[in-house]
Amino acid sequence: MQELDSSPRPARAGAYEALHQLLGDYVTTDPLERSYYRRDLAAVPGALGALIGRTLPDAVARPRNTDDVVTLVKHAAAHRLPVTPRAAATTVYWNAVPTRGGLVLDMNGMRGLIDIDEERLVASVLPSTRWQELDALLHRRGYSVLSYPTSAPAATVGGWVSMEGYGIGSLAHGGLAEQVVALEVVLPDSRVITAGAQGELPVRAFCRAEGTLGIITRVDLKIRHAPESTRSAALSFPDPAALYRAIPELAAIQPAPYCVHFADANYQRAMRSAGFEPPSDHATVLVTFEGDSRGVAAGIAATLEIAAQRGAEVLDEHIAEAEWRERFMALRLKRSAPTVLGAESWIGLDQLAAYASDAERLAKRQKLSLATYGTVVKPDEATVMSLFPCDESRAIQYVLDLSLTRQLFGTAFRRGGRPYGIGVWSSPYRARAFSPAELTEITTRKQQLDPASIMNPGKLYSSPLLLSRPIFDIGMGFLAGVRRLSKVVS
Amino acid sequence: MKSYFDGVSEESLICAQCGYCQAVCPVYSVLGWESTGPRGHMQAARDISRDGHLSAGNIRHIFECTLCGRCQEACSTRIDTGQVWLELRERLAAQGALDAFPLAKLHGNLTTGHSLTGEAGESRTLWQDDMEEPVERLNLAAGAKVVYFVGCVTGLYPQGYPIAHAMTQVMARAQVDFTTLGGSEWCCGFPLIGMGRRDDAVALARHNVQMVRDLGARTVVTTCPSCYHTWQRVYGALLGEPLDLEIRHASQFLASLLQEDLLQEGRLPVGELDEVVTYHDPCDLGRHSGVYEEPRQVLRAIPGVQLVEMADNRENAQCCGGGGNLEAVNPDLAAAIADRRLAQALETGARFIITPCQQCRRTLTAAARRNKARIKVLELTEYLVRSYDSG
Repeated sequence: MQELDSSPRPARAGAYEALHQLLGDYVTTDPLERSYYRRDLAAVPGALGALIGRTLPDAVARPRNTDDVVTLVKHAAAHRLPVTPRAAATTVYWNAVPTRGGLVLDMNGMRGLIDIDEERLVASVLPSTRWQELDALLHRRGYSVLSYPTSAPAATVGGWVSMEGYGIGSLAHGGLAEQVVALEVVLPDSRVITAGAQGELPVRAFCRAEGTLGIITRVDLKIRHAPESTRSAALSFPDPAALYRAIPELAAIQPAPYCVHFADANYQRAMRSAGFEPPSDHATVLVTFEGDSRGVAAGIAATLEIAAQRGAEVLDEHIAEAEWRERFMALRLKRSAPTVLGAESWIGLDQLAAYASDAERLAKRQKLSLATYGTVVKPDEATVMSLFPCDESRAIQYVLDLSLTRQLFGTAFRRGGRPYGIGVWSSPYRARAFSPAELTEITTRKQQLDPASIMNPGKLYSSPLLLSRPIFDIGMGFLAGVRRLSKVVS
Repeated sequence: MKSYFDGVSEESLICAQCGYCQAVCPVYSVLGWESTGPRGHMQAARDISRDGHLSAGNIRHIFECTLCGRCQEACSTRIDTGQVWLELRERLAAQGALDAFPLAKLHGNLTTGHSLTGEAGESRTLWQDDMEEPVERLNLAAGAKVVYFVGCVTGLYPQGYPIAHAMTQVMARAQVDFTTLGGSEWCCGFPLIGMGRRDDAVALARHNVQMVRDLGARTVVTTCPSCYHTWQRVYGALLGEPLDLEIRHASQFLASLLQEDLLQEGRLPVGELDEVVTYHDPCDLGRHSGVYEEPRQVLRAIPGVQLVEMADNRENAQCCGGGGNLEAVNPDLAAAIADRRLAQALETGARFIITPCQQCRRTLTAAARRNKARIKVLELTEYLVRSYDSG
């Protein structure tokens, strides 16, 4: 591990020290405390991280309210301090990790349900409220969120708005951008705006912006009455081809399933080797319906019909219930690794079988244990995660293994896929995630709102040198070659 | 839910840094810095595995934890986080970390005086001087079937005396053949384990078990959830042999008494209490020992009592702040955690918080006083006996 470069740049040291006067004990420049903000879920060797940028923030502040955020952003703008907003940091792309030091705004102090407009069915929420926590708070009053991420116990409302916002419940209720009625945002020039559906800066401008356009300080989002019934059916597919034929059919059931989640047989094997009893040794699909009892029963009946037509075994109801309860626990498979690397991509449902086949070929060629699972989030698309085990404590091999993530993304791209989330590490794939028109739009907006580029710099719009093309392609190709060679030799 | 432990170093690598633990951690909810929550502790575990030592700041964070176990319930990789924290404390204690905290004095009390306060054995029977009704064969009665293990907080602090009074009164009226270890009882060892001095707890375990065996008793009943957990789940491993004793917490014991015909025989004169109560799950009884329903059964057996659950209950119950020796390390933090739990109790509109734990009773009572809250905190057995008086 590299030594901490813990001293702020001299020219700005005074600006960071002045933060103490603004927020007192809610600001720290302590090197130990700052060191915790250098990472997210991704395990990145220190030396590699240092090549990407200055990941150690110079200061961390914990705003308690919008006024605090305004104070901090105003100060940052005046002194041109980079600002990295961060809450639970549950992604793997470094969306919330500094690349130029600066000030991290740890938003976790702004957490909770503000109020519920019961007539409009809209909840006002502080940005760092966890999704699972929010749903529990709403349930006490007879309501529920429409959708939530697969990391709902930790992921925050503001964080998911800043990402694409597709996950559990999206198939039935659409993406989060469609559910957000209004956002309170502190812009890089410290103005506070309320973004609505229309206007110069609508809600959708901040969705997918990954915190690069401002700090979200309040989210008004649509909610629903708590469903009367929730039931799941778990199906096991001895024939993987039948699985991929069944998925679009299951997604097309009307009224739409609340969630369709699938996992391949390799995922079940990985779970078993991690010490857990998988629901089946074959590929599985978990189809969940929520709503009134009659609609839910009809949905389950339609699911069983498709299962029969596709030769799937219907697993016991208690297995389905257990799988639904464990829906946030995919990372359990880390117990057999201890590290996992992978790629999460959008894949068209009509391309799932082809992607799975290509990925399996890649796994064989590279001698990988590749486990794949995904969630159908649109009638015709799923977000698919493919993971393979590795060991971050073996630094050289781990860096070589990193090259495989590019190949996995390549496999998805060849089937029309695109990455889910950009941050730093997927910045080379920016042109896959956004159309040219979208890229122009977001880049123009960034230049207008944040000409000095203080807000979450180094993300989304550009890549660090190491990740800029063609350096990235050459580097990854080289690593892949060395890895291949090392496997052949061993 | 099954948890796993393959060693501190291994688990610190398995940890996904997903933050599920942080979202529910009572310490993090108060202090708010990454370093103060379980996700930060796991990074510290990596550091100590690699470097062999931690900074003073990190050491403090490792001991600023109630060991409540909510992180373990939440963990996405099913890490037995409790074991990680204990082993971290063991390593740090071996490096002299306790000297930086009042824990060093506590360690001395426990290893030389065999009690939390370090007082001599006779202090353990002072609570008996205040008993309204004398109980025969109360101390070291050979041949008794049941030993009531009173515990340090109940037996040595006057605030805890009513719990011992209530428990002995219930058992005497129910004609249970019981005794206590009197002045020969030693601390169960739980505070030593919590501070990372597990090895020192062996002598205490050996003494207590031998005392019970010498009396010929087959059952040990505790009113303290931490004593219960230690006897039930730790003593066997500490002594390297299976414990040939039945260990029961008072709530379990009372629930089973209530199922017998004792009510009709007048041996359990439960009276009516027309009151709204809420129940606080102690971490060592609930999450760490899996006892959730029996205390609630006892409350439901009291006619007129309306039990209203707090928003976070059973395996999701919030800690009262009184665990993990936190009060010795950072009393303000422990108090802030208690305040949060009190706030949840007040949301229910209940007039009473009932808990089967003397420590939770103490911390929540202090929180109620601090916040001038109109809610009374009673231990479960005390509350049951209160119904006797109303009958």
